[in-house]
Amino acid sequence: MDRTQRPRSVLDSLGEELIGILTPVSICMFTVVLLVCLLNSDPSSSASFSSIATAAYSETDSDSPWDKLLGAFLNSLVFVAAITVATFLLVVLFYLRCVRFLKLYMGFSAFVVLANLGGEISVLLIDRFRLPVDSVTFSILLFNFSVVGVFAVFMSRFSILITQGYLVVIGVLVAYFFTMLPEWTTWVLLVALALYDLAAVLLPVGPLRLLVEMAISRDEDIPALVYEARPVIRDDSRLVQRRVWRDRRSSQNDDDLENNEVVNVVRAEEDEQRSEISVPLIERSRPESSETFLEGIGLGSSGAIKLGLGDFIFYSVLVGRAAMYDLMTVYACYLAIIAGLGVTLMLLSVYQKALPALPVSIMLGVVFYFLARLFLEVFVVQCSSNLVMF
Amino acid sequence: MTVAAGIGYALLALGPSLSLFVSVISRKPFLILTLLSSTLVWLVSLIILSGLWRPFLPLKANVWWPYALLVLSSVCFQEALRFLFWKLYMLSTLIHFALLLSSDCYAVLDLKKRLEDVLDSFADRISRPRLFLTDKLQIALAGGLGHGVAHAVFFCLSLLTPAFGPATFYVNRCSKVPFFLVSAIIALAFVTIHTFSMVIAFEGYAKGNKVDQVIVPVIHLSAGMLTLVNFASEGCVIGVPLLYLVASLTLLHCGKMVWQRLIESQNQSGSTLR
Repeated sequence: MDRTQRPRSVLDSLGEELIGILTPVSICMFTVVLLVCLLNSDPSSSASFSSIATAAYSETDSDSPWDKLLGAFLNSLVFVAAITVATFLLVVLFYLRCVRFLKLYMGFSAFVVLANLGGEISVLLIDRFRLPVDSVTFSILLFNFSVVGVFAVFMSRFSILITQGYLVVIGVLVAYFFTMLPEWTTWVLLVALALYDLAAVLLPVGPLRLLVEMAISRDEDIPALVYEARPVIRDDSRLVQRRVWRDRRSSQNDDDLENNEVVNVVRAEEDEQRSEISVPLIERSRPESSETFLEGIGLGSSGAIKLGLGDFIFYSVLVGRAAMYDLMTVYACYLAIIAGLGVTLMLLSVYQKALPALPVSIMLGVVFYFLARLFLEVFVVQCSSNLVMF
Repeated sequence: MTVAAGIGYALLALGPSLSLFVSVISRKPFLILTLLSSTLVWLVSLIILSGLWRPFLPLKANVWWPYALLVLSSVCFQEALRFLFWKLYMLSTLIHFALLLSSDCYAVLDLKKRLEDVLDSFADRISRPRLFLTDKLQIALAGGLGHGVAHAVFFCLSLLTPAFGPATFYVNRCSKVPFFLVSAIIALAFVTIHTFSMVIAFEGYAKGNKVDQVIVPVIHLSAGMLTLVNFASEGCVIGVPLLYLVASLTLLHCGKMVWQRLIESQNQSGSTLR
C-alpha cells in the first residue's frame, strides 16, 4: 500500500531545541528518583553524611524546629560562602589565562566523581540487589568507566551522545549524594543557592557574570562542565547552515597538543581574533572545594542551548528530596521545574544573554512541594480512597 | 503485591496513553510541549481546588453529599479552566518563544493573535505548508492527553507505592478486587474521557458548535457523579461499567466528529483542485 509523501508541516520541527534540553533534565531527575527509591527503603538508618554543607551544624531528630531552621541557615551560609570563594578563584584563574590548568582540573574532578561516587553507589546497588560480582572485575570496570568518562568530557573529538550521557551520569551521582543531606538543610540550601545564582549572574560584580563576559570578550569557551544540547541544523534554503559546534573546540585542542613545551604562542585566525597562549603546568595544591560546575544557561556558539551541570544537579536534588516524602510531591515538583525551565528559556530568547537557570525553577519547585504536601495530598487521598474521582 | 504487580497497575492506567505518546506525540516536539503545559494546567487547577477545600477536609466517611458538592465544584472549575485554556491559547506564548529561539524568525510579539494564526504566519514565512487539519487535531489530542495523564498520575500512580511491596490492600466498599486494581481501571476510563473530550471541545469552540461545547462539561460531570455510585456497598460493580459506557460514548462521538471533519476537508481540497 503506498503512502503519499506528505510535505513536512511546520509542526514537525518546532520546539526541537527545547526538547533537546528537557530530555536530559528529565532523565537525570528520573534516575535520581529511582536511586532514592531503591536505596532509601529504611528511613531509620540515616547514616551521618558529613560534608562541607553540614560543617556548621549536623541535624538530629531531637532538636526543636527553630534549632533545625537556625542550623540549616548556618549550613547554607557556609556552603554558599565556599561556593563563592571557589567561583572567584575560578574567575581569577581564567583571568590569568590558566586555561590548561582548569581543563586538567575539570578532567580530574570528573574522574573523582565517576570513580569515587560512582563506585560508592555501585557498591550500594550491588549490596541491595545481591549481585555476584568480585572485586577485581568491579575495580577494572569502574576504572575503565571513569577513564572513558574523563576523555568524554575532556576531549572534544568524541561521540556527542556519549559525552552527553556521561555528563548526565556525573549529574546523577553528585545529586544523589546531595540528597543525603538532612532535610531542613537541603531545603534552605536550595533556596540559598537559587538566590546566590541570581546574584552571581545578574549583579555586575557577580563572579559568574565576570566569567561569562571574559569568555565572550576573548571568544573562548569556559572550561567547565556544561551540557550543550545537540544543535539543530535545518536544511532550508533561507536559513543559514549553522556551524557544527565541534569546529572551534577541535582547533583549540590541536594547538594544545602541538605545543607541549613552555612556549608562548599567539595565533590569529582570519575570521576571529583569538590568542592562544599555553603556559607551563604549575604545581598547585589541590583546592578542596567543589568542582568547576558552572551554573546558568546561555546560548552556545552555534546557537544550541547550554545548561550548566550545576543546574542539573540541583534540580535533581530537589526532586530526589521530594521523592523521600512521597511520589505525589515528585510529580508536582517535576512539573514545576519543567515549567520554570520553560520560563527561563523564554526569558533567554528575549534577553539573549546568559541567565541564571536556578532561581525560577527552584522557587517554583519549593512552592509546589509545600503546596502538594500540605494541601494536595490530603485532598487526593481523601477522594481516591473513597473511589471518588473527577 | 510485587514489582510486577505494581508495574502492571501502572501500565493498566497509563498503557494506552503511553502508546499514543510514543506513536503520535513523541514525533513532534511541539506536541510534547503541549502535553507538558496542559498537565501543568491540570495540576494547578487541582492545587487550587485542594487549597479551597482544605478547611473542610477530612470529610466524614459515610456521608456522600459533601463529596457530591466537591465533585460538582471541581468539575465546574476545571471546565471553566478548559474554556480559558482555549480562549487564551496560552500556548501562543510558547510558540512565540519557540519561534524566537529559532533565531531567524522575527515574529511579531502579538499576544492577542491566536495560536493558529501565529503558526500559519510562521509557516508562510518559512515557506512551508500551513497547518493541516490533522495538526490542529493533534494539538487538541496532546492537550487532552496531558489532562488525562495528569489525572492518572495524581489519582492513581501516586498511591501505587505500597503496591510494589509484598502485600495488597482492599477497601470495604469494593471488596472483590484490590484497591489498586479498581483505581487503575477507573483511571483508564478517565484518561479516555479527558483525552477525547478535549478534542471535541476544541473543535466545538473552533466551529462554534453549541452541541459539542455543551456535551463536554456534561460528560465530565456525569463521569464524576458516576464515581459517587462507588459509595454504596459493592457499588463499584455498577459504577465502573457505567463509567466505561460514558468513556466509549465519548470515543464514539469524537470519532464520528473527526471523521466528518476529515471528509469535509477532503471534499474541500478536492473541489479546489478541479
